[in-house]
Amino acid sequence: MSENLSSSPAAATNVQPSKLKAEYCVTPGASAGLEVVLSATALRKNYLSGSQRLEVLRGVDLAVAAGESVSIRGESGSGKSTLLNLLSGLDTPDAGSLLWSGRSPHPKDRARFLGMVFQSFYLIPEIDALANVLMAARILGVLGAAQRARAKELLALTGLVGRAAHLPAQLSGGERQRVAVARALMNSPRLILADEPTGNLDEHTGDSVVELLLSLCRETQTALVLVTHNAAHAQKTSRQLFLHDGKLSYG
Amino acid sequence: MPWPLYLALKQLFPTGRRFPFFTFISVTGVALGVALLIVVMSVMGGFGYEIHRMITDTQGEVQVKVSDGGVVENPADLIPVIAAVPGVVGVTPYAVGLSGLMYGEKASFPQILGIDLKRVESVVQLNRFIRPGSLDDLDDDTVILSVQLASSLGARLGDKVVLYSPLFFKDAMKKNDEVMLPRELRVVGVFEVGHQQLDSNTAIVTLRRMQDLYGLGHAVHGFNVRLAPGADVDAAVARFNAALPLGTGLKAYSWMDSFNDFLWVLQMEKNMFFFLLLFIVIVAAFSVTSSLLISVVRKTREIGLLGALGGRPRDVAICFCAQGLFIGTVGTVLGLALGLGVLAVRNDLIHTLTHLTQREDVFQKFYQLSQLPAHTAGADVAKIVVFTIVISTLAGVIPAWRASKLKPVEALRSE
Ligand SMILES: Nc1ncnc2c1ncn2[C@@H]1O[C@H](COP(=O)(O)OP(=O)(O)OP(=O)(O)O)[C@@H](O)[C@H]1O
Ligand SMILES: [Mg+2]
Repeated sequence: MSENLSSSPAAATNVQPSKLKAEYCVTPGASAGLEVVLSATALRKNYLSGSQRLEVLRGVDLAVAAGESVSIRGESGSGKSTLLNLLSGLDTPDAGSLLWSGRSPHPKDRARFLGMVFQSFYLIPEIDALANVLMAARILGVLGAAQRARAKELLALTGLVGRAAHLPAQLSGGERQRVAVARALMNSPRLILADEPTGNLDEHTGDSVVELLLSLCRETQTALVLVTHNAAHAQKTSRQLFLHDGKLSYG
Repeated sequence: MPWPLYLALKQLFPTGRRFPFFTFISVTGVALGVALLIVVMSVMGGFGYEIHRMITDTQGEVQVKVSDGGVVENPADLIPVIAAVPGVVGVTPYAVGLSGLMYGEKASFPQILGIDLKRVESVVQLNRFIRPGSLDDLDDDTVILSVQLASSLGARLGDKVVLYSPLFFKDAMKKNDEVMLPRELRVVGVFEVGHQQLDSNTAIVTLRRMQDLYGLGHAVHGFNVRLAPGADVDAAVARFNAALPLGTGLKAYSWMDSFNDFLWVLQMEKNMFFFLLLFIVIVAAFSVTSSLLISVVRKTREIGLLGALGGRPRDVAICFCAQGLFIGTVGTVLGLALGLGVLAVRNDLIHTLTHLTQREDVFQKFYQLSQLPAHTAGADVAKIVVFTIVISTLAGVIPAWRASKLKPVEALRSE
């Protein structure tokens, strides 16, 4: 695993923030002097359904610095999920380039670099909350006493003390999403991509989950890209972007 | 533990939940197949083992005889040579041939076996098979009949039977004046060794009587040899052939050589059964495949998530193959336990069954055994274990392939 994907701030010296920041940031000032964790340039994505060609993304530029939180809003069907899938490397763009901490994304790096939270919680039903959080560490290939301690600590931070041994089916929607948040943070990623994490939750629960995400990311200097329909949630991020007509803009 | 194995285990045996139905059914299918295989292989092995025991009990492990069926003129000189071969604990000469036997109006042409009374017990515990009667009463004027021969003639202990020498017929044909008169012999025993070939039509007389009957003089047809328990029969045969004088045509044959065709048929039957019964395991494996395929479809979104967490398609595939492997392993262990358990109580089971159907006598007549033999060979167990586990693991291959082909983006989107 390369150093510049590790969570230690000292490792950030490997990238050249000055070069990246100036060119690609939608709000250049926001990330001044900090490591650019995510940088996407001119991303394009088309879908072919039958004979029809759907241009979902027509050149998206985005740069996110460490510790920064970015919200993306947009109409349903505007391509927000599509964009996150490209940023996460799960899907490939038709054109454009993507860098994770200055390097081109590699599937091998995903487990350490990236945490993801979705509208659905996608917990593994056969294992308890703690084991679900630890699953991220298992897949990364590091599972020891330190990881177990961290998983417990994350469950405590997400307000799930005493629920560690519960199966997903025994948890409420909000609690499940908290487990998913803890899982996303397990490997101390540099970036968290959250796609409507409150979509399946009631307002109050949704507020607390977003609050949790924002505070945990702030404390650990983790970059956050939050796709949401909720204006109040978006206001809490350091930058608010809109996806419209296949491009990102403010307001 | 690598995560694919961990997840495979957890999907089959979830934390804190009761045994899932799918696991139960899949494991049961495999276990039944394995149990049946082990029972049938053991019973077949038991028949083979019983036959081995009967053959060696009645003629020793090795026979030394003239390869073209001729006679050995100087048995007294050869016995020390044979006895000196390492591993030999007993050697006894024999003479054998067909002859006519009459009791009243009934006639039969049994195989007559001439035995050396002084030596025979060092090779064959003949007395064990004789009931009623005793080997001690056998002399030159008496005979011991096999159980079926005695019953077909209707002869009992103390009855007199008439034994015709083949020389009698020869002399009669030549119209010789001096014909070899038939001998009147008293029945002093009936034997049953449990081996159809011997029990059906055999009479035992002394070696001297047989030599007299066949005009052999002092010659015999061969020697039965008993080896020390656990001795390597093939190695002993080789040692005999090295020790026996050249030019006499004498050769040593292991019990396996003598019953080669029979043993070959038995082995063929066993292989055939193994092959056929293996299909039960294969069918069970198909049900494992279909269950795992359903599981892949049902867990599409979670498989997508594993990809999002950084899991490689290869590891996802391993996770599903491992489920087949675990089902196979657990099924094999349970199947072995079940099979060996059934074997342990087999005679009680058969007793109950035959009693219920009132066919006890039929069973005994048909198999000539009051007990069902069983001999579980380690090699058979190993074969069953390896085949079952390999087949079960292969059962996971198609589901694994399907799972690894899922694209995380599409899997996560699926409803
Ligand atoms: N695999 C696909 N094949 C064809 N069209 C697709 C595919 N995935 C998405 N689309 C289309 O691309 C567009 C953008 O989809 P996307 O899911 O990114 O929207 P979204 O902004 O996330 O919407 P929502 O707010 O409802 O989640 C939609 O019109 C959708 O129909
Ligand atoms: Mg969406």
